[in-house]
Amino acid sequence: MTRTRAATRTVSRFAALSAVLAAGVSLYALPAAAQGEIRVAWYGGNWGEAFRTCVAEPFTKATGVRVVPEIGTSTVTFAKLQQQKDAPTLDVAYMDGGISEMAQAAGVLDAIDPTGVPNLAKALPEAIYKADGSIFAAGSGYYSLGLTYNTKEIKTPPTSWNDLWKPEFADTVTIPSPANSSGVPFVMFLNRMWGNPPGDLSKTFEKLKTLKTALYFDSSGAASNAYQSGEAIIGAHFNVGAWDLADKGLPIGFVVPKEGVWATDARLHLVKNAPHKADAQRFIDTALTPEASACLAEKLYLGPAVQGVSVSSDVERKLPWGVGGSVKNLKLFNWADINRDRAAITDAWNRELARQ
Amino acid sequence: MSAAMNRALPLLAAPVAFFIAFFAVPMIVVVSSSLMAGGVPSLGNYARVLLDQYHWDVLAATFRIAGLTTVACALLGYPLAYYLVRVVKSAALRRTCVILLVLPLFTSNIVRSFGWMVLLGRNGLVNDALVGVGILDRPMRFLGTELGIVIGLVYILLPFIVLAVGNALAAVDPALEDASSDLGATPFDTFRTVTFPLCLPGLMSGIVMVFTLAVSAYVTPALLSGGKITVFPMLIFQQYSTVFDVNYGGALSMTLLVMTLVLVGLAGWIGNAGATGRKAQ
Repeated sequence: MTRTRAATRTVSRFAALSAVLAAGVSLYALPAAAQGEIRVAWYGGNWGEAFRTCVAEPFTKATGVRVVPEIGTSTVTFAKLQQQKDAPTLDVAYMDGGISEMAQAAGVLDAIDPTGVPNLAKALPEAIYKADGSIFAAGSGYYSLGLTYNTKEIKTPPTSWNDLWKPEFADTVTIPSPANSSGVPFVMFLNRMWGNPPGDLSKTFEKLKTLKTALYFDSSGAASNAYQSGEAIIGAHFNVGAWDLADKGLPIGFVVPKEGVWATDARLHLVKNAPHKADAQRFIDTALTPEASACLAEKLYLGPAVQGVSVSSDVERKLPWGVGGSVKNLKLFNWADINRDRAAITDAWNRELARQ
Repeated sequence: MSAAMNRALPLLAAPVAFFIAFFAVPMIVVVSSSLMAGGVPSLGNYARVLLDQYHWDVLAATFRIAGLTTVACALLGYPLAYYLVRVVKSAALRRTCVILLVLPLFTSNIVRSFGWMVLLGRNGLVNDALVGVGILDRPMRFLGTELGIVIGLVYILLPFIVLAVGNALAAVDPALEDASSDLGATPFDTFRTVTFPLCLPGLMSGIVMVFTLAVSAYVTPALLSGGKITVFPMLIFQQYSTVFDVNYGGALSMTLLVMTLVLVGLAGWIGNAGATGRKAQ
């Protein structure tokens, strides 16, 4: 009996303690909220760092509003937005093309209003994404999947995607697998490049079967690792990752082949029912300035999605469209088509290519 | 008794709540999503998984890789545990060895698998050494083969079996072995009839741990397969992370879980039957 009472006392003590803790937490949280802060979801690694330096810091300097980052891949951010649909804590979300369309369809995005975000007027027309007449996303910079090669092993730069099938490159090629966000679109890109009918990928898979690869990469990191170790000496890679390797002094080259490159972008989204909508709009406005775009171009080689951005010539040649190119040179696919065929292409890949 | 129970209940509340929140609820979510197709309750996802020979092929590859990993871990881990517990006399040296053994567990799986990608590559250290010594004429392909995946998994899972067997060995009373040799048994007979059977439960628990971890491993197979071999967790990851079909993904997850439980249960049953058989002798 005494033991029971002791236990009850312990429990109530716990309850009292947690009440005190909760009160303390809310007291602590209040002043921070009063100063103003917004929560922005972006990616990890050097991407997150670049968004912080190029967008968040200038934004905080101009407005005094603190930016709390939530690090995650586009997929994770999309999952978070779906979970917090009824009471969101995020204000702005960076997500890649593809996931962006899915978030729009899931109804977790608010319309970006040009009156609240005046810099939308400076954005490239390609970088403004509309559904049902309203803007659901604004491009924040393009990146492409181009032809990447080891300059020490390959003296003459490749000029065509078909060069990957040359016998001298047997067993040293790498291309993305469908576990990578570029995997499915890359198959569709090749299908279109070879002039095969859009609804029938069988010929494209037949051709892919004859490609002698070292590996299919599932993450950008795995691709970088393969080029760095010499496991792969030619193949596909993102301009962001390839030039990052070259900047570190590795013998890596990146070219836009004559057939062009598939590309997509990182996009800004205003979260539906965002707790700090006005500040969130100002954040997006800051991200769409030429200064922020130039900064992202310098740090990540993201192709600017706003007009009037000037960068050094060394940065310019590393942009997703290559020397002398522009957004017109990028093969930007309709993500609705890619998302529709995603399950079927992944399944076909598994059965045709991902088994010995 | 009831007073003790009453005192225990609040203490139990935290682990039970943790278990419900982080194990039971997610499991229920996965099971219920696997039983939905197109917004209506259906067994269609399971039909899609089970009636397709492709999935059975992938399942077979998954269990083959996990089985080989477990055998290799047991063959390497048992002598290593025996050495650490019985041969190493200095406590300081033993502690150092255990720390060296456990240390890799503090590094991320991803980093260690990337390390193996470099070591096992065409121009990697392993191939350089094999060619240099003259065992091979030209570099052998490890990446993208089941052997490469098994090497990576054995490296990652070996500590589990060494620790399990080591604990069991340390608990064996040396007096029993002394008694065995006093009664005229050779050292090998003593090991075969006394020491080994006594640490069998430790070995079995190590084997079950390694097998289940190997079956469910994603990162190591994904990186070391080079995308050329598919194991079941890779199919599950695809559905959840890129295809976004949680219903089909859920059915794949439950299939792997049930098949693994059946195999582990079967192994336990055979082990028990064996032990009972020996006792009956």
